[in-house]
Amino acid sequence: MTTPPDLSVANDPAGGASAPPLAAAPAGLRQSRKEATRNRVIQAARELFDTQGYQGTTIREIARHADVSVGSVFTTFASKGEILSQVMQDRLDGLYAELDRVMPHLRGSTLDRLRTMFAIHFAFEVRHTRLFLAHIASAYDWTLPPSAKPMGRTPRLQEIMRECLEKGVAEGDVCPDVDYQEVVHLLVAAYAWIYRLAAWEDADAATMTEAMDRQIGLIAAGFTPRA
Amino acid sequence: MMHSQIQAVDDTPVKAPTRRALAKQQTRAKVLAAARRLFSEQGYEGATIRDIAAAAGMSTGAVFANFTDKSDLFREIMLTDMTALAEAMTEAAATGNGVEDALVKIFNAGYKFYQTQLPLARAAFSVGWSPEDGPALRNAPPVQALLSLFAEQLTRGEQSGELIADAAEPLRTQMLFDAYLSNYDQAIFQGWSLDALHTRSREQIRILLAGARRS
Repeated sequence: MTTPPDLSVANDPAGGASAPPLAAAPAGLRQSRKEATRNRVIQAARELFDTQGYQGTTIREIARHADVSVGSVFTTFASKGEILSQVMQDRLDGLYAELDRVMPHLRGSTLDRLRTMFAIHFAFEVRHTRLFLAHIASAYDWTLPPSAKPMGRTPRLQEIMRECLEKGVAEGDVCPDVDYQEVVHLLVAAYAWIYRLAAWEDADAATMTEAMDRQIGLIAAGFTPRA
Repeated sequence: MMHSQIQAVDDTPVKAPTRRALAKQQTRAKVLAAARRLFSEQGYEGATIRDIAAAAGMSTGAVFANFTDKSDLFREIMLTDMTALAEAMTEAAATGNGVEDALVKIFNAGYKFYQTQLPLARAAFSVGWSPEDGPALRNAPPVQALLSLFAEQLTRGEQSGELIADAAEPLRTQMLFDAYLSNYDQAIFQGWSLDALHTRSREQIRILLAGARRS
């Protein structure tokens, strides 16, 4: 009976290479070992992406840092793009949970609520703007498997915006005949652009929020009922 | 006399290319054609300089003698296309009836231009969003020329009295351009038809112009 790999030796650089062959383990154990590998790879990738960027990190380095073989990274993930997608998805899940908690309690106009929502967003993500940009870019990456969820294919954020607009219709500051989907789509385009501002011009959260506020204001002119 | 003098001045810089320069031009053209095909088939990440060299029937060294790296090669392809695209868009804008219509026609000219080469557009977005290679592509003069074309429509709308002159004009220009770009996602990943893109563009343009309309 082989024992499961001891995660506490994760920093031993030789550990991954000498791991026992997976085929020798029974199915349940194999599953949990695969899960453990997956977690270690994600953890290692998160740290390396944060310190040296996405493009500057290789699969080989991720494997070494996670103390697993390059081969076992590839049995878990199809490509580096997929690892990034997973790292970012985990981060966004935290953010969406925070937004779900806060949004029902927001007061003020639809414009204010949308602005607050994005301000929360940028405060949450400002340390990772270059990574977010890489995340957006990876949506167009050929090597990404269909199962990955890159930026823009995560429906939750769009749902939150749609709910915000629906509430606005109920409260009378959003035109009832406005096409929500088009407004949401424009907000997403504006939001993505903010990451370029942040990463290329090294903007801080306040600058990002201010730029997004102006864009939301311009879009709002298209959904606010005319007096 | 005057005329022939101007001719002469115009002609001076265009020396007859040497055989060496011609060969170099042909090499570049061959590499660019092979690269365009591979980027379309395998994407930006999937196509390597080694593959491109092999497809062009030359050594990687010969490719590197003409282009500094993969992003340089890709940028050259994009900028050639952008210049042609700007012409198509300018022509389309001229037939527009009012600001909204001119902008819709500009968007459409773009979607039509890329309709048969969406894989290349996809590669362009991959590069355009990249933290490393994005700024060089976005700030390239042919891309800036597209932005200016969008801005011109707003200025024209102000002159005709359709729109109020408005401090938000640069922001509105950039947002129109980003809306135009954002619809490629639907074309690339969901196979939207030109008609569907057309309908969405019109709605987006309407929303983005609303704040500048004279009521």
